[in-house]
Order: sequence, then structure tokens, then C-alpha cells
Amino acid sequence: MTTVLPQASTTSPPDSMIPVLQAVGITKRFPGVLANDHVHFDLRPGEIHGLLGENGAGKSTLMNILYGLYQPDEGEIRINGRSTRITSPHDAIAQGIGMVHQHFMLVPPLTVTENIILGQESLQPATRFMGQLSALDRRTAAQRIRELSHQYRLDVDPDAYIKDLPVGLQQRVEIVKALYRRAEILILDEPTAVLTPQEADELFVIMKELVRQGKSIVFITHKLREMFAVTDRISVMRAGKMIGTVTPQTATSEMLAEMMVGRKVILQIDKSPAHPGNTVLRVENLQVQDDRHATTVQDVSFEVREGEILGIAGVQGNGQRELVEALTGLRRVVSGRVILLGKEVTHAMPRRITELGTGHVPEDRHKHGLVLSFPVRDNLVLCTYYQPPFARGLEIDEYAIAERSQKLVAEFDVRTPSIRTTAGSLSGGNQQKVIVARELDRPVKLLIVNQPTRGLDVGSIEFIHRRIVQARDRGTAVLLVSAELDEIMSLADRIAVMYKGRILETLEAGAATREQLGLLMAGVKGGVHV
Amino acid sequence: MSNSAMAVPPQRKGLINYRQVINLIFGIAAAVAFYLVFNAMIGGQCDARCVIGTLNQTIRYAAPVALAAYCGLMCERAAVINIGIEGMMLMGAMVAYGVNVYAFTWMKTTGVDVVVAGEISRWLALGLAVSASGLLALLHGVVSIRFKSDQIISGTVINILAIGITGYFYRQYLAQNIPPGPGTFPPFDIPLLAQIPVLGPIIFAGQKPIVYFMILVTLLIHYVLFYTPWGLRTRAVGENPRAADTLGIDVFRVRYINVLLGGLLAGFGGAWFTLEAVDVFNPLMTNGLGFIGLAAMIFGNWTPFGALAGALIFGLGNTITTTLSFNRPDIPSQFPQMLPYVLTILVLTGFVGRAVPPAADGQPYEKQ
Amino acid sequence: MSSITETGARRAPGLAILLRWLDVLSMPALAILLGFAGGAIIIWITSGSLETVGAAYLGMINGAFFKTRGFSETLVAMTPYVFLGLGLAVGFKAGLFNIGAEGQFYIGAIGAVWAGIAFTGLPTFIHLPLVILAGALGGAIWAGIPALLKVRTGAHEVITTMMMNYIAFRLTEYLVSYPLRDTKSSAVQTLRVSPNAELWSLHQIPERLQDPFNALFVALVFAFIAWTLTEWTFLQPRWIKRLTWLQRHGIAVGIGVGIGLVTLVGLPPLTHLWWPITDPYDRMHIGIFLALIAAVAVWRLMWKTTIGFEMRTVGANPDAAKYAGIHSARVIIITMLISGGLAGIAGTIEVLGVSICRCLPLFFSSGYGFDSIAIALIAKNHPFGILGAAFLFGAMRNGADLMELQSGVSKYVIALIQALVLLFVAAPAMVRYLLRMKAAREVEIEPLTRGWGG
Repeated sequence: MTTVLPQASTTSPPDSMIPVLQAVGITKRFPGVLANDHVHFDLRPGEIHGLLGENGAGKSTLMNILYGLYQPDEGEIRINGRSTRITSPHDAIAQGIGMVHQHFMLVPPLTVTENIILGQESLQPATRFMGQLSALDRRTAAQRIRELSHQYRLDVDPDAYIKDLPVGLQQRVEIVKALYRRAEILILDEPTAVLTPQEADELFVIMKELVRQGKSIVFITHKLREMFAVTDRISVMRAGKMIGTVTPQTATSEMLAEMMVGRKVILQIDKSPAHPGNTVLRVENLQVQDDRHATTVQDVSFEVREGEILGIAGVQGNGQRELVEALTGLRRVVSGRVILLGKEVTHAMPRRITELGTGHVPEDRHKHGLVLSFPVRDNLVLCTYYQPPFARGLEIDEYAIAERSQKLVAEFDVRTPSIRTTAGSLSGGNQQKVIVARELDRPVKLLIVNQPTRGLDVGSIEFIHRRIVQARDRGTAVLLVSAELDEIMSLADRIAVMYKGRILETLEAGAATREQLGLLMAGVKGGVHV
Repeated sequence: MSNSAMAVPPQRKGLINYRQVINLIFGIAAAVAFYLVFNAMIGGQCDARCVIGTLNQTIRYAAPVALAAYCGLMCERAAVINIGIEGMMLMGAMVAYGVNVYAFTWMKTTGVDVVVAGEISRWLALGLAVSASGLLALLHGVVSIRFKSDQIISGTVINILAIGITGYFYRQYLAQNIPPGPGTFPPFDIPLLAQIPVLGPIIFAGQKPIVYFMILVTLLIHYVLFYTPWGLRTRAVGENPRAADTLGIDVFRVRYINVLLGGLLAGFGGAWFTLEAVDVFNPLMTNGLGFIGLAAMIFGNWTPFGALAGALIFGLGNTITTTLSFNRPDIPSQFPQMLPYVLTILVLTGFVGRAVPPAADGQPYEKQ
Repeated sequence: MSSITETGARRAPGLAILLRWLDVLSMPALAILLGFAGGAIIIWITSGSLETVGAAYLGMINGAFFKTRGFSETLVAMTPYVFLGLGLAVGFKAGLFNIGAEGQFYIGAIGAVWAGIAFTGLPTFIHLPLVILAGALGGAIWAGIPALLKVRTGAHEVITTMMMNYIAFRLTEYLVSYPLRDTKSSAVQTLRVSPNAELWSLHQIPERLQDPFNALFVALVFAFIAWTLTEWTFLQPRWIKRLTWLQRHGIAVGIGVGIGLVTLVGLPPLTHLWWPITDPYDRMHIGIFLALIAAVAVWRLMWKTTIGFEMRTVGANPDAAKYAGIHSARVIIITMLISGGLAGIAGTIEVLGVSICRCLPLFFSSGYGFDSIAIALIAKNHPFGILGAAFLFGAMRNGADLMELQSGVSKYVIALIQALVLLFVAAPAMVRYLLRMKAAREVEIEPLTRGWGG
């Protein structure tokens, strides 16, 4: 393909417009990684500029540099054509740059107003002489927030508490926060990752409104479809380098995918048809609450059989976490039943569920999956340390543990200097391999995997996907929970879509289309919003 | 304080909070039952004057605990756990005593009038005690903020260090041959406020400066924490420091200043022992009050008025201990003396599950 | 593919292990040096002369090691520290910041005194273990209450154990002043424990070993030590991997039994050859051997058993522990019982071996609680490190009197030095900053703090 001209966009802009924001030759090194390698990027006034790339391609690093959170090792930043230094978020804000981070930078117990004015508080005029000890003027601030909210059609209530707001609204609070600071340039870092397709569409409307009123937006994502929906230009990064900039009118999905991944083939698993056997897990009318006692899983029923992968699709935060925790004994079940291999395990302790033959790859590998300060060796027997051959009675047999660890490390290709290395010093992919190795080492009848490849490199993703399919082919029942629709579609034999704690519908994977699933994930079933 | 019109901490949203009402009813019932039992134990001699006197003394005993609790509050609202309060108070008590005695002696030799010298040395002692405690707090800040050590270990270091320093100076300079000092602060009434019926004689009469300061500081902390930019930033730093950082707030600076302010408050609490309670210094004289202050802070759900309530419970326990020891010599004095500690455990076990600490409490902040 | 590369270790395992230990030990060593340097500065400032600094430290060293019976006294002083340090380390490893060692120590002492007074006429090989058990039980109960409260209500152990300390002080004061008081003595103290319950002084050993049951008891203890040491040291190298579990244990137990038999036959005549044994005024007692055994036992418990694995997992990552099916509440309670039990044994040893009256006087100890926190932290919670740190603290405690006598510096300066040492241990980054060292690698401090939520 010759349409990609890396220098074209930065050295010779097609018109004489001065970019509002320009990054020239930015280089940033982290220990062992070249996160940004002489990256050029420019943002024209009044455009939505999409930035596309895989996890770890260097998008977030570049944006963090523009926002003053990192300092570049080389290169310069120009705003409205003038070279400038941005050494802190404070500078960035002063230069008119606002950022909506992937993980929202909000303080849940504070109100919307308090969150927005934080760091730039409006004060009661009479007490102003007391500096930071003068009285806050919440009323004036709330008034301005209302005005901004009205002007850009954001519909934000200044008196609400952040913790009570749904994710989509929290995101708008973030946008108001930037506007309140008179931002002319908005950086939106993966804003759609936590949204349903419908909410994403609403966001796109807001983005277009913002641009119409003169703002410029950098929009980061790794989803191709969104690029075509909203952007004026698209830049693609891969492995720390800027691959090129194109317009959505001239680009195709295939072309962008190739620029992003660097090779033609997109992940495709060789998978034979499933041969489902007996029922392994049966869930009946399950109801579960989250930590704040809100019911997040409601009336959920399904079955998983030997030799099949049941995928649970859904936007993050629709009860998947609570469901998995309830199934593995980590969370109390309010009502309903869980039957594993014919035995009732509704209120069983995690250990009993494990011993019955369940493997669990948890969502958060740092919180639940690993003890980061323990060596790889100990992490590989985290669930079986008390069973023979690893222990006899109370005594642990280190030799047996070491022997098994060596075997697993080799078999699962865990790249570690030694089995004595602490799990915390491994890369994310290798950490996940340790967990998968541990969970598949036992004769598991049921494998529950929750977001198995989040934040991993392509190699590890492929490896883990292969292992999951292998487990299925050996007759294991697999419950796969993932927010990545692609992952679900390529692995699952049947797909259940979860929305607001309920399973809306279960489809055969072969028959399901992306559009159909997308609608279900947004809560639309049979043309009606649930 | 009635301030339903102004925005208050998120826990109290509606006008009437049923839990608060229920708590209030239970509190009153408990107080009445408590009085009846107490009165029976000391032989039914506790009339209205005695009740007022008891409550007056309760506030006096609550002062050091409340100040310790405020120290913890300031630190933990900015997400720095401080279990070194005990040590900071001990330091304050020792410095206050030493300065009070030696500054007075020195001034007498230079011919300053005794009354004036006493007055000056007491206030000087208070100032230096507070500074010494503040220095320890800064050390805690440096170790836990800059060097990112485990904050509970750092607090323990502060405690051990304070025991070491005070023990050493006590043996070297304060154990024997101490010149006569000017004594503790004299009590005084607050004009006008002391005339308020019932409340006046309980709160505003016959107390000494640090107790009045404690009451003032309660209001002050509430104002600063919930109505000023500084308080807003502090709370943000305690809940989500990364968010504060992205808005250009210097997380480290906010934490340092709060820890320092907390240390100063603990210094006042320490000075209470030797400038208000008794005119001697003993090693380990703080007797765990710093830890009790932490319990009061947890009881009060990290709010100043709540912490004050916790401190008052302790103060009442301590008052009863004293009264019982005095009126009932037949009970071995050790048992009434256990009361405040047992009370603290009970209060803590009853309330800790419901209290919600700041989300980032205890976590060192790593800049990206 | 060979993804494991242990070439460094394979080429020269001895050297690699040595370097690793040097690396581990360098920070505490530097911290100790800096602590003493800080102490010197304080003495210098307060006394105004450098000579005082020299006199003080020389006096301390003389008192701790070189004066008559100095070394024995250091070992006597270090014994309770070992148990206290071990107790706290067990808790810290499981993420429990038990700062109530002092209270557990007191109640342990009370339990020991009670068991020592209440029974008379029991033979020593029954009475002595009984008394130690009673002490352990006392400490365990005192630590068990905060553990239960933590599990049931989430009350943080930092506050509850501290409160339990003060309750223990008052309770001890009451028990010593009234129910257990020796009314014949002018001092306020308890009755003396039965002579059969005392920890044997070394000079008593030949006489004690006359009793064949005592000799058998000692032989069993030696057999246990030999068994453990054999398994730990001599069966470590790689070629041993070829042995089965049964063979390894067979060898270890065999050597243990052999040593036990040799002890049984050989020890009584050999006892006359060692100097402390011939000195009737030497106060060194067999507690130090119990301390060594305890250190080995705790080491085995923490690193070689499933319950130790569970404790360490709960301490390092409670969420992962829950995920792994570990019953955290049970682990917390067991840990606190062991922790308090060890502190209780320390109290027992104070009564049975350290106190001159072999009884519990009013106000008999202070500062053990915080000292032992320092010991556990300086030792990085490792049982063998605790032996070293306890030795240092014992030596300082023992040398302090002579230091005060010879230099006029208050003996309380040692608390200051100890605090400084702990400060530098707690903040290795600070040591590096002060000494302008580059961080070779991040030395991980295991987190203890998880806020107040539990």
C-alpha cells in the first residue's frame, strides 16, 4: 500500500492553517521500552483528530506528554505555532489543553461542582484575602457549570455527587471540567471503552457540538468503527512510531487495521466446532449485590456444558464481575442457585468450589490473581499448595513445587529469569500466563475466565486464546467473560449478552452478528429498549 | 451549628437522617442509664451541680484526646496514616515542662517579675512544645511522603523515637534537682459565654487555655475542611490523589502541610499534660491517649464533630474513673482505671465497620 | 525452549548465596551504623565533649561483653527479646500489626507465675513445660481478644492491642498487689515460683541431669534441633533432589536421634568443661537455648508449612488469599494466638530466668513492647535476623548501666539509638539518600498498612 506517507501530514499541511497543537519529533524512553520514537502529530483548529493504535502503541504516552504528565526526552511541542514547554498539568491547563483520562480523574464522594472547581476554586469576594482558607463560593461556580452544560448540551447537574452518577455522565463531568478551565483543545483518551455503543453515539454528538463551537479534539481509541463515525483525520501509531495520517474518506477498515497491527492477518483462532457434553455448571435465577448493596446481578440463569465455551458479552460494569465472584464463592449470593457437577455450591466457600474442579482466571490479576511479592514458584501453587504432592500434612515439599513450576514455566512459555523471581517483576503477559498455567494445571472441569487478555500484547493474547480453546477441546466447560466483543466472537460457541445485571439473550455464535450483539449490549432487544 | 443551607459532607444529604435520630435517642437513653448506675455506685450523692461539674471535667479530659483525634484527622484526610500521635504528644509534654521550668528559672535570675516570668514561660513552653511536636510530624512526613515508607511503621518509629528522646532528656535534666517552676496555666472564664445557663458553666467556665483552644479548633477544622479551597484539595488528595495531581495540585505539598498541622495540634494535646493537667513530667505519661484519639477519629467517621463526640465519651470515662477512685476506696483502683481503655475498645468495635476512611488512606503517592 | 536461566546460581551457588545475603544484610548493617552515629552526635551535643562519646560507647561495649559475666548477662537480656521479636514477626508476616506485645508479655508472666505457684511437688520436666505453656496461654488469650474483634467487627489491631496493653498493666498491678502478693515480703511482689519450675541456670545443669527423665528431656530437645538443622543445611544441595521425601526425612530423623543419644550419654560428663557452668553466680540459663529452638521452629512454621504459606499469603495480598480459598479469619486468629503465645513465653522467661526474685514484682519491666517492634522490623521479620537484632538490643540493654557509670550519659540514650536504627531500617531510601548511594535495586518493604478497614 502506498497511500501511507509518514511525513506527509507533518511537513506539508495541505492548507495554510496553523495547527493549534503540534508535536514535533517527540521521543520518550522508559526503562527497556522506547514508548515514543520521534513522533510527529498535529491538530488543526476545529477538527476531531483520531489517534488509533493497539495497547502499548504509545498513544497514551504521547498524550500524557502533551498534558505535562511526562517530559519528552527529545522533541518539542508547539501551540498555535509557538514552541512551548509543558512541564506539568498546570502548564497544560494554562495553555488551554484539557484531558479526559481513560480512568476518570474524579473524586467520588465530592459533588460535581466540587470536582470541577478543584484547583481553580471560586471564592467569596469578602474572604478572598485569606487565600486558600477563604470561603468557597459554590453558588457562582454551580451557575457557571450550568451555563457551560447548557451551552454544549451536556446536561450535567452541578449538585449531584459523583458516586451517584452513571459512567456516561461522569465522563461529561470530565468534559465540563476541561471546559471550565477554558480548554480549547480536548484530549479524550479511550472515552468509549466504558460506554455502550448507544452512549458512545451520544458522546459523538457532544464531540461534534464542541467542534462546531470552535474546540479541537484529539480522540484516542483502538476501535476502527468509531474512527469512521466521528473523525476528520486519523493518525495511526504502532510500537511507539507514528505510522501515518489518513482521512476517513480515503481510508478503509482493512487499511487502518494493517497500519495498526503491521501485518495483514487479524487474530483468528483455528477452532473446530464444539461437541457439548453433560452440563457442568447450572445457574438458576441468580441474584447478587455489589459492595454498595445495589443489586447488580438479577435473575440470571444459564448452563455451561462440557466442551463448549459460553461467552458473556456486555459493556464493562453490567454485573459481570459480581456474577463471576458469586460463581467462584468470593461474593455472597442473595438468592438463586448455583449447581456445579450436580452439587449445590450456592453458598460454598471458594476452596470447595475449586476442589470440585473449577479453574478461575480472575479479572484483576494484581488484586486477586497473584501475590506480587511472592516468587513465580509460589504463585503457581497458590490454590494447591496444601495438596499432595506439594504438601504432606502440614509440611510443604519445596522440591515438588520447584519441579512442577519448572515444568509449567516451560510448558506455558512464561518468560522469567527463574522460578524464584517475584511475580511482580514480570510483564503483564507473563503474569497472566502464570495464572493460566496454574489454573489449567489441575484437572479442571469448569474454567471461568474473566477479561483474560486485557492490556496484553498480541503474542500473549494469541497464546492465551489457544489455551482456552485447547481446554475446551479436552472437554472442559469454559465460561468466558469479556468486554471485548471481538474476543467473544472469535472464541465463544454460544454468546450470552449481559445488560444491567440481566442476560438479555443467548445466541449461537455462528448465527450472531456484531450489529445484533451491539444492540443487545446497549439494552435493545427486539427493537425495544429494555 | 445549624447549617442545613450550606453544603455539608456527603453522608448527610436529607434534612432528617434516621440513623442520626436513632443514634441521638440511643445516646440520650444511654446517658440517663449511665447516670443512674453511676449515681448509685457513688451512693446517690450526685446532684445537678455534681452533674455539671462532671461534664465540665469531661471536657477537660476530652481535650487531649480530641486534639490527638484532630491530628489524625488532618493527616488522614490527606491520606497519611499517623499512629505516631502518641509520640508527638509525649514530645510536646516533655518540651512544655522543660521549657516552662527552665525559662522561668532563667528569667528569675535576670530579675523579671515572677508573675510576668511565669506567664511568659508558660506561653513560650506552649509554643516550643507545639514546634517540637511539629518537627516530629515533619519527620513522619518526610519518611512516609518523600521516602514512601510504610506509614504504620513510620508512625511506630516516631513513637519509639519520642520515647527515646523524652526518656533521655528526662533522666539527664528533668528527673531530679528540678528548680521550682511557675506551675500550670490558671483556669479562667470566658466573659459573657460563661453566663449562658447550663452550657456556660459546663463549657466556658473554669477551663484552661488549651481546652478553649480545642473547642475553637473543632469549629476551625470543620470550616477549613468543608468550606475552603484548602479543605477541598485536602479531601481530594485523600480520596483520589491522581485526580488532584492532574488538576495541577501539588499532592506532596498538601500532604506535608496537613501532616505538619496535625503535628502542631498533637503538640497542643501534649502540652495539656504538663501545662494544664499536672505540674510534672513522667516518661510515658500520655498513657495511650494518642491511640485513643485515633479511635475517636474513627468513631467520628473522620469528621471533627464526630471525633469530638468520641473524645467526650473518653473524657466521661476518665472523669468517672477519677470520681469512682475517690468515692469508692473499697474497689481496687485498677478496675476503674481500666474503664477508659475498655470503653475505647467497645466504641471502636461498635463503630469501625460503619466508618469509611478516605479512599487513599495509607497509600504513598507515586508521581507518574 | 529454555526460558529458565539460573546460570549464575549454577556456576557458583556458594558465591551467589553469599552475595544475596550480603545484599540482604547490608541495609540493616548501614542502618545500625547510622543509628550509632546519630546517637554519638546527640551525646556530643548534650554533653559538649567528644570524649564523652568515646567513654559512653566504650563503657557500653565493656558492659555488654567484657566485664565479669558481661557476655552471659547479654545472653540473658536477649532471651525475652528473641521471643518477643519472633512473636511480632509472625504477626507482621501475616499483615497484623500487633503492637500489644507488652501486654501479652505481662499476662504471660502472670500465667507463668500462677502456674509456678499453684503447683508444688511436680518434677521439673513436667512443671517447667507446664509453666511455659501457662505463660504462652496467657499471652495467646491476650492477643486472641483483638484477633477476635478484628475478625468479627473489623476493629484495627493497632488500637485494640494498644488498649489491651493498658488493661494488662492495670490487671497485672491488681493481681500482683492483691491475690498473688507475697505478704511476707516488704516489696510488692508475687510469691516465688516453685524451684522445679525455674529455668535451669547453667551451673545447675550437672545436678539437674542426675535425674534420668531430665536427661531424656534434654536429649529429645537436642534431637529436634539436630533433625531440623540437618534437613535445612545438609540436605539442601541439588543432588539431594534425587532422594525421595521419605529418604530425606529418614536421614534427618536418623541424625537427630543419633545426636539425641550422644547427648543422653555424653552430656553429663561434658558439662564440667564449660565455664559458665562452673560459676555459681553466673545467671545464664537454658532460656537462650529455648530461644534458638523457637527461632528455628518459627522459621520452619513460616516457610516450610502450609499454615505458614497461608499466613504469608494473607499478609502479602488478602484478596489473593481469599481467591486461593484461604480462610483469612482463621489464619488471623491462629497467627495472633501464636504471636501472643510467643510474647507470653517471653514474659515467662522474664519471671523464670531474668528476674532475681523468680517472681513478678510490681512494675517489673517497661519498654519491651516497643523494643520488640524495632527488633522485628530491623530483622525484616526473619527469625534468624531476629536472633541478631535481639543480641544487639540485649547487649545495649546490658551495657547501658556501665556506660552510664563510666560516662555519665543516661542509659536512656540507647532507646534513642535504637529508634534511629529503626528509622533508617524503615526508610532504606533515606539511608541511600544520606550516604549518596545509588539504588542497586528496589528493596521491597512488605506492606503492613491497609488503612483502617481491615
